[in-house]
Amino acid sequence: MDRRKFLKSTGLVISATSTALQLPVSSCQMASSGMDRKRKLSENKWGMLIDLNRCSPGCTECLTACRRENNVAFHGDERWDVHWLRKVNLKDHQTGNKKDVLLLCNHCENPPCAQVCPVQATYKREDGIVIVDHHRCIGCRYCMIACPYNARFFNFKENPDWPNKDYPKRSHGVVESCNFCAHRVDQGMKPACVEACEKSGNGAILFGNLNDRDSDISRKIAATPVKRIREDLGTEPKVYYIGL
Amino acid sequence: MKIIEMLTSDRSRMYLIGTAVLLILLPPLFSILFSSRYSSGESAAGFLEMPDAKYKQCVRDKAYMRVHHMDYLKEIREQFVRYGERGDISLSTCSGCHTSRDQFCDRCHSAVNLNLDCFGCHYYPESNSQEAAAGVTKWTDANS
Repeated sequence: MDRRKFLKSTGLVISATSTALQLPVSSCQMASSGMDRKRKLSENKWGMLIDLNRCSPGCTECLTACRRENNVAFHGDERWDVHWLRKVNLKDHQTGNKKDVLLLCNHCENPPCAQVCPVQATYKREDGIVIVDHHRCIGCRYCMIACPYNARFFNFKENPDWPNKDYPKRSHGVVESCNFCAHRVDQGMKPACVEACEKSGNGAILFGNLNDRDSDISRKIAATPVKRIREDLGTEPKVYYIGL
Repeated sequence: MKIIEMLTSDRSRMYLIGTAVLLILLPPLFSILFSSRYSSGESAAGFLEMPDAKYKQCVRDKAYMRVHHMDYLKEIREQFVRYGERGDISLSTCSGCHTSRDQFCDRCHSAVNLNLDCFGCHYYPESNSQEAAAGVTKWTDANS
């Protein structure tokens, strides 16, 4: 055996043994690829329809349900309070009419908050829900400035309460907003506010799939005159209002 | 010219081949040395304590979890948060068997002075409850 052959064969043997000894720990193998997951989500486009005529004035069922479900911080001081869902009393100065309006994240089709996020913590999921990855958020609050609906809130303080232990709360230093109860929606349930509103008997909030033309929400949007807030901005919100 | 002569001489050629063979041999040697650390060479008996009433098997094998649990958790997190795929396994699956955070997570992490951010937001019961303390059995290789 000449030197060339010897070197070749030893090289082969060494590389074979080293690959054989490699432990199968290098990567996490997951069942489905990213593309499959995206396609699965994009079958739906979630939207909400709020009938302000059926929303009774003193009722705060949806607000408390949201707070309890999502561990939204309430300190009793308006500087630090976080609201995923707000009930605002609006007054028309010309006519003197007053109206309670539910305000929440509008889950825009072109979300300005997601466009400005420097770390891509805020993003639009394939099913249209605009959501914050709190692991990634650095708390720069750029999204709060970008949002034309004032739907985003910053956690200045640690939340002292933890009513729903199955759902994580947010630590201080991150921005949060309504996410259509994405954890419930993924399990085939309705958002907490919708369920509470149905339970209270008002049935003012309707939640459903806008892609599906036969869904309750799509039919009602087609049949009744609906409005969205600041449609002129081109953000294409997915929260519709009747009687705004 | 002298250098070339030196390099082409028989003796220096032997040295060159020797170093080359050594260089080729080193990486697999290292991998053998360090792989023993992963493959249950050492025992964690008595270090990580857990109540094993429900526990039969971890979601992955022990050697994998010992070294790569953080990668695994990150992968699950990505699935949860980015793709909305909420599988059966979450952090509460961990706390289902390893009920006490003190004895499961914090033991190693505080020993190496690693501060986790997980539990500022995610619920994981701490040790102090009575039934958790009563149910604790030693982790041994036999029951793992």
